[in-house]
Amino acid sequence: MPEPLYTLKDVSFSYSENILALNGLDLTIGKGERIALIGANGTGKSTLLGLLDALQFPSSGTIEALGRTLTERAMNDAAFQRQFRSAVGFVFQNPDIQLFCPTVREDIIFGPLQLGVDKTEIVRKLDEIASRLRIAHLLDRSPFQLSIGEKKKIAVASVLIIAPDVLLLDEPTAGLDPRTTRDIMDVLDEEHSKGKTIIMATHDLHIVEEIADTVHVFGSDKKIIRSGTAEEILTDHIFLQENNLMHSHVSRYLHQK
Amino acid sequence: MQKKTSGFFERTLEDIVSLLIESVSRDEIARGKGFLQGCDPRFKLMSVALLLASALVSKNSEGLCAIYLVVIVLTLLSSVRLSFFLKRTLFFIPIFSLFIVFPAIFNFVTPGEPVVSFTLFGIGSSITRQGLGSAGILLLRVLDSVSLAVLLVLTTQQHIILKVLRVFRVPQLFIMTIGMTWRYIYLLLDIVQNTFLAIRSRVGYVTSSKTGRRVIGANLGTLWLKSWRLQNQVYDAMISRGYTGEPRVLDEFGAHAVDFILLAISTIIFTGTLCLNRYIR
Repeated sequence: MPEPLYTLKDVSFSYSENILALNGLDLTIGKGERIALIGANGTGKSTLLGLLDALQFPSSGTIEALGRTLTERAMNDAAFQRQFRSAVGFVFQNPDIQLFCPTVREDIIFGPLQLGVDKTEIVRKLDEIASRLRIAHLLDRSPFQLSIGEKKKIAVASVLIIAPDVLLLDEPTAGLDPRTTRDIMDVLDEEHSKGKTIIMATHDLHIVEEIADTVHVFGSDKKIIRSGTAEEILTDHIFLQENNLMHSHVSRYLHQK
Repeated sequence: MQKKTSGFFERTLEDIVSLLIESVSRDEIARGKGFLQGCDPRFKLMSVALLLASALVSKNSEGLCAIYLVVIVLTLLSSVRLSFFLKRTLFFIPIFSLFIVFPAIFNFVTPGEPVVSFTLFGIGSSITRQGLGSAGILLLRVLDSVSLAVLLVLTTQQHIILKVLRVFRVPQLFIMTIGMTWRYIYLLLDIVQNTFLAIRSRVGYVTSSKTGRRVIGANLGTLWLKSWRLQNQVYDAMISRGYTGEPRVLDEFGAHAVDFILLAISTIIFTGTLCLNRYIR
């Protein structure tokens, strides 16, 4: 078992008194792991990613990360906040909310600038990331001139430039064409080979096998109902169908070569 | 009739969206190669401000014509198509100004030496030399000012104009807010446009004025909720990348010899205009 990075104990979260989003979650995530969170809509995957990024805090239970319990108070400590934000990067599901600057260039460098990275270093990293993701020609464009695939790449670039140890991704390939999906998968593979931890919520079962070592399945009761290797989970079609993760007619073709 | 009501809102929305898209495509010129495009935006803005001030204080038509000539030369040096530039600057505002200054040419507004005399409703009237002079100077002043402003906007990307405001000590938070507002107006307009399309695809055109008002009212509410959710999510996205309430930006400006030359020429024109005013008096 790798060294624990996140330890969640009996974590529950409610958006209001009547809307329970997570229900008593116990989970340990180790350094360098590749984890996929799968489950039907509204089962708490995105909420968990928000908690892991300390954008919201548990209604009950505790989350420990980087040696501290994640609370509002801890995040108000400027030094810890900087350390945490430098170590954890979050790619949101909707790239439009992540790209809020007038140009792509400003969006990508927003993170390192806020984190106080040296400006010469930022320019060097920008060039490197633009060349790696083949987005140099988009740098001076406005985000609303981009396609969804380009926006997603820029959103990924805006997080990768921070060089975080942990990558949180919410539906990174949703709505993307196969080539852009492949590009994003390659980037994630590359990041994992550098020892980064990858935690990804997805409905796209085709990428789970390639991108995740461990899969946690969320159920309608807002809990993890099963955890296992990608192979164990993905080959149990009855379980996937019962939990609204696979449509019956899809399984007719899944084994065809 | 009701079709027109529904069509009016959709057409207005479409026009706003196309205006925004056009303003972005205008950036193509600003991103292109040319003299002003290559200048440091701070120097460019200061130079344009000096030329604008020269046009505002100039009291003679020769000086104003000389400034217009400078604008045309800058336009050509900046690879902006002259016909495109003139179409944008010669019509509308100068023509509207012409209507406004028209009464000033007559002796009952500007008394003076008559050039043409005539009788209007039994009252003797005339167009005066002084009236023509004042109207001409005002028109040239408007033409110079509009041309300079259009040239600046055409050769500078919007976000750079915003950035340059920092030179004038405008708080960074304010500049960032304007930039984000611009960015999300487009997104929200897109949502509204799609909502109208969705309504039309399900129920066709709105059948009555009352229904139309109800649909628009409901949409305003939905849009408010969506924009509220959006702003919360955007703030989360900013926090997630280390934002703590004080935005930091990368200052990428760099002045070269040509920027100093442009500023020097503008300063000379401004000073020359002031001297000319004194000499003429």
